[in-house]
Amino acid sequence: MKCPECEGDIDVPADALEGEIVTCPDCGVSFEVHKKRDGATELRPAQIEGEDWGE
Amino acid sequence: MVVVVKVGGSILGEGIDPSVLDDIGAVAAKKQLILVHGGGRAVTETAKRLGKEQRFIVSPGGIRSRYTDLETIKIYTMVMTGAVNKDIVTALQKIGLPAVGISGVDGALIKADRKKKLLVVDERGRKRAIDGGYTGKISSVNGNLLKTLLSEKYLPVVSPVALSEEFEYLNVDGDRAAAYVAGGVKADSVIFLTDVKGVLMEGELVKKLTSKEAEALRPKIGFGMEKKVLASLEALSMGVKESIIASGLVKNPVASALAHRNCTVISDE
Repeated sequence: MKCPECEGDIDVPADALEGEIVTCPDCGVSFEVHKKRDGATELRPAQIEGEDWGE
Repeated sequence: MVVVVKVGGSILGEGIDPSVLDDIGAVAAKKQLILVHGGGRAVTETAKRLGKEQRFIVSPGGIRSRYTDLETIKIYTMVMTGAVNKDIVTALQKIGLPAVGISGVDGALIKADRKKKLLVVDERGRKRAIDGGYTGKISSVNGNLLKTLLSEKYLPVVSPVALSEEFEYLNVDGDRAAAYVAGGVKADSVIFLTDVKGVLMEGELVKKLTSKEAEALRPKIGFGMEKKVLASLEALSMGVKESIIASGLVKNPVASALAHRNCTVISDE
């Protein structure tokens, strides 16, 4: 797939699950795999939280 | 002088040690004291007894954390604001201290933004963003409520449960809660009592750090301690004069920490 940021080529695994993170090898930006209702895959900017997940 | 003390699960163990209680009593006689507690282990144990196995997730940095789903946050709130908090309050009352148990929900003491997504490494070893569950990042602390209690000579004991914008309970980290509470009342000191002396580098205790030095050191230290250093920096940025990371397993841990004995002090003063 094309990187939404730099249009580089991102290799999205065929068995990628919803929410899986892929990173563009060209610009280094991470994206979240989103499965659309029609089964198509799209890439959304990954919103990553820090590692403090409570007690 | 206002002092906030975070007492972690490793210190609470089977309950607060009587010598720690006496120490708290002695310090509370001279200074205004607020306690913030942890207790994740008690939550896990109760959840297990209720037949709710806790799911733990692993971050890309290798940190294993509880996944707080809807059932878990109910158990978490019940245990933290109930058993853990009230055991501490009762122990303090027993030695004559006017302790008042209060959660982040009461009086909207701790408000937090619910985390939308968490980045985990799944069972296939791949990174995935999952629903954030009921965890949050603290956005504000009602310092006036705590100041009111302090002005009436009460000793607030705060449990790390926050209120979200949508009025949900959220699991927030106790160290970060202590930092925000300290910032909210502009405390003079925040003390993190743990099971080690302080920040260790190559086995040696680091006694004093500026915030700049602490920031530079953060990536080189383990997660549990790194979180305390992060909380320390947050507290300083909110106007707290000093942050102390100290052992809760020594004699008179609070007095000893305030005297800067065998601990790490982070301060720019």
